[in-house]
Amino acid sequence: MLRPLFSSEAGSSEAASRPPNALVSRFDQLEFERHALDNGLQIVLYHDARLPLVAINLWYHVGSKNEAPGRTGFAHLFEHLLFQGSENVGTNDHFRYVQQAGGIANGSTWFDRTNYFEVLPSSHLELGLWLESDRMGHFLPSITQEKLDNQREVVINERRQKIDNQPYGLAFERQHEILHAPDHPYRWPVIGYLDDLEQANLDDVRSFFHRFYAPNNAVLTVAGDFDRSQVLDQVAKYFGDIPPTEPVERPFVPPRPTPHPGGRATLGDNVRLPRIYMSFKGPACGTPEWYAADLLSTALSEGKSSVMYEDLVYRRQLAQDLSCYILPLEETGTFGFVSTAKPGVDILELEKALVEHLDRLVAETLSDERVEQGRSVVLASHYGDLQTLEKRADYLSMGATFFDDPGRMFDKGRYCREIGAEDIRELVRGYFRPEERVVVNVVPHDQVDRVQESPAP
Amino acid sequence: MSRQHTFDRSRPPAAMPPKDFRFPEFVRETLPNGMEVYAAPASSVPLVNLEIVMPAGCMFEGLEQPGLASLHGELLDEGTRHHSAIEIASTVERLGGALDTGAGWNVAYAEAELLSRDLDAVLALLGEVVLEPEFPDEEIERLRKSRLADLLRRRDSPMALAEKTLFDALYRGTVYGRPQSGTVEGVEKLTREDFLAFYRRQVIPNGSRLVAVGDFATDDLLRRAEGALGGWQPGPAVEMPRLEIDHLPRTQVYLVDRPGKQTQLLLGHKGVARNHPDFQRLILLNSIFGGKFTSRINLNLRERHGFTYSVQSYFGFRLGPGPFQIRTAVANDVAGAAVRELVFELRRIREDLVTEEELADSQRYLVGVFPYTLQTISDALQRLKSVAIFGLGDDYYETYPRLLLDIDRQTLLEMARKHLHPDRLAVVAVGPAEELRPQLEGFGPVQVIPWKGIS
Repeated sequence: MLRPLFSSEAGSSEAASRPPNALVSRFDQLEFERHALDNGLQIVLYHDARLPLVAINLWYHVGSKNEAPGRTGFAHLFEHLLFQGSENVGTNDHFRYVQQAGGIANGSTWFDRTNYFEVLPSSHLELGLWLESDRMGHFLPSITQEKLDNQREVVINERRQKIDNQPYGLAFERQHEILHAPDHPYRWPVIGYLDDLEQANLDDVRSFFHRFYAPNNAVLTVAGDFDRSQVLDQVAKYFGDIPPTEPVERPFVPPRPTPHPGGRATLGDNVRLPRIYMSFKGPACGTPEWYAADLLSTALSEGKSSVMYEDLVYRRQLAQDLSCYILPLEETGTFGFVSTAKPGVDILELEKALVEHLDRLVAETLSDERVEQGRSVVLASHYGDLQTLEKRADYLSMGATFFDDPGRMFDKGRYCREIGAEDIRELVRGYFRPEERVVVNVVPHDQVDRVQESPAP
Repeated sequence: MSRQHTFDRSRPPAAMPPKDFRFPEFVRETLPNGMEVYAAPASSVPLVNLEIVMPAGCMFEGLEQPGLASLHGELLDEGTRHHSAIEIASTVERLGGALDTGAGWNVAYAEAELLSRDLDAVLALLGEVVLEPEFPDEEIERLRKSRLADLLRRRDSPMALAEKTLFDALYRGTVYGRPQSGTVEGVEKLTREDFLAFYRRQVIPNGSRLVAVGDFATDDLLRRAEGALGGWQPGPAVEMPRLEIDHLPRTQVYLVDRPGKQTQLLLGHKGVARNHPDFQRLILLNSIFGGKFTSRINLNLRERHGFTYSVQSYFGFRLGPGPFQIRTAVANDVAGAAVRELVFELRRIREDLVTEEELADSQRYLVGVFPYTLQTISDALQRLKSVAIFGLGDDYYETYPRLLLDIDRQTLLEMARKHLHPDRLAVVAVGPAEELRPQLEGFGPVQVIPWKGIS
């Protein structure tokens, strides 16, 4: 609708209300409340009524790291089953209720946790609480062999679509198989191995539910536009009568620094251009070192003028693309590089160029200007991400689950402002050890033998 | 805390009265050179998003030069009269921002995400890449090499193979018949003169729009926009290319023979332009058919049969009659069964009225999620851009919820009969031909395309 010009000036824009050039945001400090029910359910409340929306975000502290070798993929398969109804919610009705209310719903499984979320018009808050509490407290009566078989097929198709039938799709799981020892709980892929998925049965479903799906293993965040005087009563009404379980035992994750051998593998695939996946064990999510790693990965690969991108993709044109990432893991992270070779460029030549960059980082660290650029890019993207209510809700659950501090993930600005070139140097020296380097090269089938038999550059 | 309540858990709780939501306020101003500025102030984060869209999308490149528009778009920020490609990038990236140029089917774009404190510097640079690009020879050669590598790599992706095959089947002989990234032959031939000629013809302020959303004061933004872009000289108005396209006479099967344990399916036919008067009704129809998790085809293929992880359908947002598409990936041995269910669902929605419940559910869904889809400055920018590019009218999103709620079942049946064509489909399957052919022969004549032969 065309409004009169200048009608919409708020008069107090964020730009006007803070000192010039300070990179800060109201998201640096979020006001929230913490509560707990007698059954152990942790509750985080965050009020923001600028839009008529409410986000419900429930984290269960269980993920693929709670599985055992030979029974992988179960946490994720279980997440699918939790959308198949509960005692009072019909088979396809979870999504139906949410969508007919004008909301969205989904869930996701990660190495450390499984989350479930809805964003609803604020008038439908209780619907979300009812749905989540029904499956937390009243799930098992609804589960059937037919539902398990159906969702097993769905997940097998998901695996094929995202991994088995995708170019380079198997590289990531091969990398983690080398990066971690056989009994390390981050070794297997979250989606699981096909043979293991085939074995999942109804007894597994029941025992998994009893062990992990209980109020004392969960954090519930309610964020957005709710009635402050009623919301706790509403939560207690739906979740208060769900019994707790035995305390959940956390799997043992060997901490760094535990020296571990690196390794390499060559995979043949239906691809025209070879691609390298290089990785190291990295710091755990939310630690000062993790923020330094986040800044480093940004400074190296985010944008045309980032250090490695500019050199390898733009100037020397050895690579068609290059990215760098740090996985947000609770215990010990993965720091990785992914880069595709240009036509005619040997993958080992690209590997050599990557290694030279790492050597230079160890010797010289990043310049102050590069650290500054990385910091600005990281913070702008952080504040951009926090615009959505569901992201803020998810961060609150994440902080509460991993750090017993819902505000923890909002400290990113503070951590980032403190990182200097020396921190980057220490990080690089501590983590990018040549003997711990893991390399997976994915190449056209006819290059496998040659690349496999060549010495590492 | 211990508060126990007794209540009837067997029924969903009642909703509270809904609250009002209005589309963000914006202003539209036309500069003296003909460029329109859409500006929506939003002070929730210290960020601004800017995007200039120009009538230089891939549909304008003509038949003889596949790849011209998309490469031209990418070249805009690869060097200007005053700054090299890397100077432009590092200036913006040092400020924590990002600047990018390129082209889609409808428009070429120059966009920037920035911290609001840096508005002047970034807006000046954005103006520079649009008004004074140099198209340096070495950057042309670099991007040409990169594009040729991308075209090579697209042959590895089942989805990219399926799209290429579908567009060719539906739109051969028109600009819609090939990928936006062009063809190897086309990209190899392009010269600096081609880019300059296209630039002079298409990149003009009359017909272009600047869309701005974020932490600024509107009068200030307009003044700065005039400063950065006011000197842009208008040219002869760009004419909309005419796309004369018929539907396929009957359903045809295109089988891309590629080894693998999964078949990528892509079904489609010619659809309608985004500014077609029926389009909003088609959004509602598609929501019921294949536009959300509880759509007919997802409940059928995924939840009932376990054939797939996901299946969706879309009407494309294009200035010309873009495709209606259904996408899914299934195990090889159920490819035929999956296509049969999809065709069945297309026929069913043309034969019978949708149920009252389906209509009400989809209306409530689309109206209800509207505020959810407008949480970020980027969300608001995308919506304003749609208004700007497709000429939807300044009040389009203000009236959007009301108009959705006014649509009835009979209208949707008419829409389905008019705009869905189950007997004139291109059925594209990427997978092992030997296993797929017997399953798909019943749907129409089968053309097998060797995977390695696709260029």
